[in-house]
Amino acid sequence: MTYHPPHISWLEVEIPGAPATAFQIAPKTIRDVEAILRYATEKGLVVQVWGGGTHSGYGIPPPPDFVMSMERLADVEAWEPDDLTIVVGAGARIETIEAMLAERNQSLVLSERPGDATVGGVIAAGVSGLRRGRLYATRERVLEVTMVTGDGRLIRSGGRVVKNVTGYDLHRLAVGAFGSLGVIVSVCLKLWPTPPGSATVLVDDLEQASQIVRPLAVVDVDGQLMVYLQGTEAEVESQTERLGGKWTPGLDWPADPTGAWQWSLRVPPAGTSGAITRLPGGWSHLAIQGVGEIRAASDNQDGAEELRSWAEASGGQLVMTKGDPAIFDPWGTKPPGLALQERLISEFDPARIINPGRLPGGV
Amino acid sequence: MTLVTDLRAILGDEDVMEEPVELHLYSKDASLMRGQPACVVFPRDAAEVAEVVRLAEAHGVPIVARGAGTGLAAGASPTEGGIVLVTTAMNAIDIDPQNRTAWVGAGVINLDLSKAAQPYGLHFAPDPSSQSACTIGGNVANNSGGPHCLAEGSTTSHVLGMEVVLAGGEIAILGGQAPDPPGLDLKGFIVGSEGTLGVVTRVLVRLLPIEPDVRTLLMSFDTVKDAAQTVSDVIAAGLVPAALEMMDRRMCQVVENWLEAGLPIESEAILLTEVVGETDGVISQAGVISEIAARNHATDVEIAETAEDRALLWKARKSAFGAIAQLAPDYYLHDAVVPRTRLVETMEAVYAIADRYGLTMANVFHAGDGNLHPLIAFDASDEKVNAMVHQAGEEIVAACLRVGGALSGEHGIGIEKRDLMRSNFSDLDLDAQARLKEVFDPCGVFNPRKVLPMGSRCFDFGGVRREVPEGVWV
Repeated sequence: MTYHPPHISWLEVEIPGAPATAFQIAPKTIRDVEAILRYATEKGLVVQVWGGGTHSGYGIPPPPDFVMSMERLADVEAWEPDDLTIVVGAGARIETIEAMLAERNQSLVLSERPGDATVGGVIAAGVSGLRRGRLYATRERVLEVTMVTGDGRLIRSGGRVVKNVTGYDLHRLAVGAFGSLGVIVSVCLKLWPTPPGSATVLVDDLEQASQIVRPLAVVDVDGQLMVYLQGTEAEVESQTERLGGKWTPGLDWPADPTGAWQWSLRVPPAGTSGAITRLPGGWSHLAIQGVGEIRAASDNQDGAEELRSWAEASGGQLVMTKGDPAIFDPWGTKPPGLALQERLISEFDPARIINPGRLPGGV
Repeated sequence: MTLVTDLRAILGDEDVMEEPVELHLYSKDASLMRGQPACVVFPRDAAEVAEVVRLAEAHGVPIVARGAGTGLAAGASPTEGGIVLVTTAMNAIDIDPQNRTAWVGAGVINLDLSKAAQPYGLHFAPDPSSQSACTIGGNVANNSGGPHCLAEGSTTSHVLGMEVVLAGGEIAILGGQAPDPPGLDLKGFIVGSEGTLGVVTRVLVRLLPIEPDVRTLLMSFDTVKDAAQTVSDVIAAGLVPAALEMMDRRMCQVVENWLEAGLPIESEAILLTEVVGETDGVISQAGVISEIAARNHATDVEIAETAEDRALLWKARKSAFGAIAQLAPDYYLHDAVVPRTRLVETMEAVYAIADRYGLTMANVFHAGDGNLHPLIAFDASDEKVNAMVHQAGEEIVAACLRVGGALSGEHGIGIEKRDLMRSNFSDLDLDAQARLKEVFDPCGVFNPRKVLPMGSRCFDFGGVRREVPEGVWV
């Protein structure tokens, strides 16, 4: 407790599920975040940034000196339905925002079943929703990022317009960076309108699914294949008829597989079905066809090493998203450009206090 | 050894130009700004580019990478001299139809890629108006858009990977066909960086299936406001058409006079919109849009029935900038972006600026994403008019920023808008961008003095010692 900073002590909270640390805090303002990070840099304290805790299994989380929850920076600063943009605090829960947006038939398109996930958490982890094959991945939805660098500088990149090439795209670099450049405090996101018609259709195989040129999603859950359709009511009705098979109105999204160990297998899109056949026995899966993303869960890590070798030889990766990093390396073979990544991070977090070593290659 | 001798030793005599007439040809892009290159080189692959980069660093001269030179912001004008590196010899296309991707040389022309993909039922979504001339490398450098990026996003959404030559001549392959490559998204950061971080030599792009059917609608309105309201209402109805373009009356007249495409020249504004998808889908979407237009007092709604009709309408849209030559010998095309809800007031402000200077202005732009393209037709040989055009341009940008817009929607910053960056970003924001540029380019050879204004790198925080190599422009 010797390093307990007096000027931020009143921000102290208890964060359920977070690692036990000497103190846990939740800043109320962006100024608080700046002060906290400046202090941490000065004292060399490692911080773990906490959203909803839903992606805390990624990488090797360093033993933090303190945990900082973004829960109080969760306000909707601006929502312009006609512009298809929203500006929200990073700590906003996706579910809360989606409930608000649904009143005007709009969506963040970040996650279909977000649970406790926050906007900032999903962006920092760089994970995408099941609709990514049709409506693109999370990085394409991020229009502006405001963040506080490790050494306490408040910086903004991008803008609050849906199309923008002004300056370097630092906001895209922040997607999937696990906070290594800075703590995301607020974002502007591109919304997507929800058309009136939708249906979930059970189909037998990919050939049947391929009758629809660009469906909203084709998802395989443990061998059961579902086609998701969205559009005008007339459009969805005729597509449902054409597809045949059992269907239900609305979009019935499946939950991610869960287990003691969880995985994200990524392969070139055409290799999705082949990748499913390579999963070790006993693994459950959810695969996004046409994208090459397979989410899987298992009781143990048996067979993971062989699967990783195959995935990497096929131009993909096997990433462990939950498990024991002491037993199994979460990321696998180091990506290219590591030295460059290290140098970039040093410009933003010179004392390496935010999630050090969490990215692939121990960056 | 001189620079040219060194370069010729690597590339051969023919692929290094230094005759005055050749240098003049490559002394500018499609902007109004000209530079004076020392030589022009045409490398054939990444290995040759790497050699050029190492030589440039050794000689301390800049490299300006250039595709077709259609850029409008002087991003490819060699205003600091040095080597103009032309990518057009790197023009291979390798399509993987199963994965719907292609590895494409930086010098491949945008339209040639879609033509090559067509037999597989695929296409490349970004379609700038210059698509029959501009290159994929240029699209990557500027994160180019085009009418059809409303629904599908700009170039960055379609770049999955790249081969890039970085500082020191290091060749890196970033990204790949599999989704979500782990680690920092370096390729995503390089897209749109206007050749200031390295030289992209090959690009792995996403290809989209050609939709089975399409409907193109031409809607006429008596006021810009009605047209803009139609745009908002279409989106509120849950539709995002493939494109939503607006042309004002003057632009319609100019285009019609030249092309006779059947544009309604009496309307204050027309909307050109396109819906794509399955036949049943496009029919019902076109129906919804027609109803919305009628509710907003559209004077006419036409749906292009044949491929020829559709092609003619798009030709009218994409020829707008050429047709303007009827009005004056030169034109200055602006590119700014505002929130869609502020379109009408911004248009009014823009017209008022042109009127105040007595300038001839026409508008054709991407209404769906609030990306304005006011175009001023003028005679550049008149110095006084030149100055007025420049002044009006700055006022237009200021008007867009006042309503929460940004400097550029798709053309880039280059030199044209470099010194306006301070009106869009704080000192700390610019400092952060300058730091990133320095990390990528410690010797300062990649397209120096573009994008960031002088003095962007001006902070030193937290007592962290920094060493800036000599010759770095910041």
